[in-house]
Amino acid sequence: MKYKCPVCGKMAKTGTAVDCARHMFGTGDKAHRAWFEAQGLSYIDLLLSQTSEPGNKAYITVAELLEKSEAAQADK
Amino acid sequence: MKYNILNTHTHNIDGIAKVTGRAQYTFDITRPGMLYGKILRSPHPHAKIKNIDYSKALALSGVKAVVTGKDTLGVKQGIWRRYSELCDEQILPLEKVRYIGEPVAAVAAITEEIAEAALDLIEVDYEVLPAVYDAMEGIKKDAPMIHEGVERNINVTRHIEWGDVEEAFENSDYIREDWFKCSGQAHMCMETRCAVAEYTPEGKLTVWTSTQAPYYMQALLAGVLGMKESDIRVISHYTGGGFGGKFELDGAQFCSSVLSMKLFKPVKIVYTREEDLIATKCRTPMYYYVRTGVKKNGKFMAREARVFTEGGAYTSMGATALYLTGFFHSFPYKWEGYRYDGYRVYTNTIPATSMRGFGAPQATFCSETQIDLIAKELGIDRFEIRRMNGHTPNYEVPGQATIASCGLEQCINKIEDWVKSRGKLPANRGIGISSYGFMSGGIFNWFDTPYSFSSAVITVNCDGKVDLHVGAQDIGQGSNTTLAMICAEELGVRVEDIRVHSGDTAECPPDLGAWGSRQTLMAGNATKMAAAEVKRQLLEFAAAKMGVNIVYDLDIKDRWVHSLARPERGLDYFEVVKAALRGKEGQRLMGRGFYTPHRKGMISPAYSYGVQALEIDVDPETGKISLINCVTAHDCGQPINPLGLQGQLEGAISMAAGYGFLEDLPMEDGKILNPNLVDYKLIRAPEMPETEVMEVETYEPEGPFGAKEAGEGLTNPTAAALSTALYDALGVTVKQLPITPEKVLNALREKEKEGK
Amino acid sequence: MERHLLRVTVNGQEYELYINPKTLLVEVIRDHLGFTGTKRGCETVSCGACTVMIDGMAVKSCSILAMQAEGKNVTTVEGLEDHGKLHPIQKAFLDHGSYQCGFCTSGMLMASTALLKENPNPTTKEIREGLDGNLCRCTGYNSIVRAVDAVGQGKYKEDQA
Repeated sequence: MKYKCPVCGKMAKTGTAVDCARHMFGTGDKAHRAWFEAQGLSYIDLLLSQTSEPGNKAYITVAELLEKSEAAQADK
Repeated sequence: MKYNILNTHTHNIDGIAKVTGRAQYTFDITRPGMLYGKILRSPHPHAKIKNIDYSKALALSGVKAVVTGKDTLGVKQGIWRRYSELCDEQILPLEKVRYIGEPVAAVAAITEEIAEAALDLIEVDYEVLPAVYDAMEGIKKDAPMIHEGVERNINVTRHIEWGDVEEAFENSDYIREDWFKCSGQAHMCMETRCAVAEYTPEGKLTVWTSTQAPYYMQALLAGVLGMKESDIRVISHYTGGGFGGKFELDGAQFCSSVLSMKLFKPVKIVYTREEDLIATKCRTPMYYYVRTGVKKNGKFMAREARVFTEGGAYTSMGATALYLTGFFHSFPYKWEGYRYDGYRVYTNTIPATSMRGFGAPQATFCSETQIDLIAKELGIDRFEIRRMNGHTPNYEVPGQATIASCGLEQCINKIEDWVKSRGKLPANRGIGISSYGFMSGGIFNWFDTPYSFSSAVITVNCDGKVDLHVGAQDIGQGSNTTLAMICAEELGVRVEDIRVHSGDTAECPPDLGAWGSRQTLMAGNATKMAAAEVKRQLLEFAAAKMGVNIVYDLDIKDRWVHSLARPERGLDYFEVVKAALRGKEGQRLMGRGFYTPHRKGMISPAYSYGVQALEIDVDPETGKISLINCVTAHDCGQPINPLGLQGQLEGAISMAAGYGFLEDLPMEDGKILNPNLVDYKLIRAPEMPETEVMEVETYEPEGPFGAKEAGEGLTNPTAAALSTALYDALGVTVKQLPITPEKVLNALREKEKEGK
Repeated sequence: MERHLLRVTVNGQEYELYINPKTLLVEVIRDHLGFTGTKRGCETVSCGACTVMIDGMAVKSCSILAMQAEGKNVTTVEGLEDHGKLHPIQKAFLDHGSYQCGFCTSGMLMASTALLKENPNPTTKEIREGLDGNLCRCTGYNSIVRAVDAVGQGKYKEDQA
């Protein structure tokens, strides 16, 4: 299963949900942040956790949501 | 290049005043009828001010006045004048206090003792509010709001990006993530903050103060006191250290001015060392997340950094530190893709601001520590990995800045040779290395000044002596001497022919002051331009007198005006001065110079580079680190004042190494636990290593005679070199500053556990 | 307020002062006698900016009451120079650039002078230890050590006459 960004359509080489999550985090612009809010997540809180604790919990949380999201499924 | 004056052993021109005790610092100033001021400070990290009753204090014999925020215009000031939302500080607040130690009231009395006693008689009714002390706590949804309307206490955000970061990561063979915590640091200037303010019935205010930027003080005071800049005179002939902590408006300057304006008497406020440690601004603590991707041959591909900085109670210079840390975190290397997101978070702690290095020591610590780990994992030589990725002359940091001169590769080579020459080290010894690059002054005009960033005025008197007026401030870094040398070199006279006037806004042109490593380049350019103008005027008269063929040029060297083609043909400089004076109807020769960077991007007009090696000894039983040797290869373009340069290097090492393993401002509930020089540990003479500096000369087209900065960039690498030295010695990494013995021992224990 | 008589020689001149007995020596030096070369940088006897010599020994003048200097010979930085002729240690500081902001300099000069009196040819290790009580934020100490070493090595011998 490959995943693309539900906001801008970009897909990582690996196509994994975690790498898609990284991209969304990194871009961090209004549109991408709005997606986080729409999922009931706080961009800042996720960023906080990413910056302060090793383990990439934030990316994994987002990746799990992407796996469930229709918009994130890349065309096969 | 060989010059007559530049790069020669020259005595500091303020030397005699300083070694004979004649130099008068603000600390020494007394004025007729002078009163003494003291400041009452908040004991709470966050509280509303309900009421201040100072009637009992006022009744104490000898007390002349008590002032609070209500006696001021209530202006929210800040040094980023262009952005009103970042001007968030009333030095005497009206509504609430936001850190322990914040001024709340000020008293003026006939003696310091009486003023101190009066503080105890002031009753402040506070409504204590919940407080937050850590950036990561301050940004949480339920954290107390420190500034009205500032959500999540997010004071400033900065974003730097170039290239396709995702693609660069995808093209990487090896990716690594690390988390770091960088501490704060106190400037710890030998002269604490102090000011003598004198307001007179003409409506003029004179302020003697220990500052890095008299012009900034003048302009900021005008803003908060509702006066015209020109009615304020700021004097700072000798400044006992600055290091980035003395170019914003502080409590001593503001409170003494407010008291003096009320009393029409001079008022002197001198901070105790304790006040200086708890209530002046500190280096910005930072949380750093760094993810880096490289190719298996060591080529740097991608880096992304997320940083939260602990801003403390007010913005101060924190917006600049937030930007520079992100920018210099990429230095001095080329990245295919780079992304930095920085967030500055308000906390109820001492405000964080600029301190020598300005966010770059923190950035360099994180970057270089990680690079050594990457090199080790990939089995690549630590010099080779730096060499293959380092900046080169004329490189463009994509969309950000163009590097002109860059001697980084030569620096790497020199340090590599030195490390090799050390051979096999004894047990528990390690040599760490760190590269760095730094700015030579900033371009972005956040102060919103209408003036040139630097100016100089030169006058030549009938006896040939030269008066050089500059706004550049000597805070010990030797700018008076450096500028005198530049002037003497350009004009063709000797340093002893120059009298430098600085540190007085009534006598000197405006200049942004001594911060951001700007003075050698910017004030140097202004001085050179003024000197060139005076030389041009002199040569007009010399040419007329000498009657040389039109194709020949004249020049002046060592007081000898001569034809370049036939230097034995010439005139005595002093003769030409007299002729010029007569020729100009008795008017002295004058030259004006100025400099503001143009068409050099928005960050800096030039960049200095260097590589430092630090040899340490670590005791694996106690975790104690001893500094053995520190060697630095350094590119500041054209060295101007070598004696000053050596001093700046050694001073930078003591400050930066202190940052690496000794100095810290631990807090509990917002209260600094070690506000004295017994408990705040600094490097002293026995702890200082032997030092060596190797100059790599390049030519920077934007700098005077090719010169760039030196004194601040040199503060960047040492904490990083210390951490990489620890890794070299014992194979452990500590990612939290300062690297205390406790942390070293913990790291050793962890390593042992992993080994099992 | 009770005042006591203090007789003290400072830089070769005897003074008689009536002072509050709680007055520190550094306050007499700076505020009563006007020798402002001596500075203060802390309240915990930690920084050494107030170092003077009493009968040739380095003393932090913030750490003693002025009355304790009764009858003694105090030398401050102003006492090193002789009518414009600099003391060897002052010349050495100039040659080696052993000061930057200059605020610690008086204390460093006095500590160095006292050190050299006690140990005229110290090793650099002894110099560093001798200056342990004096903080400097600007120089990193090494230029000061070099200056003291140069004097100790006799490089300013003709000035010592």
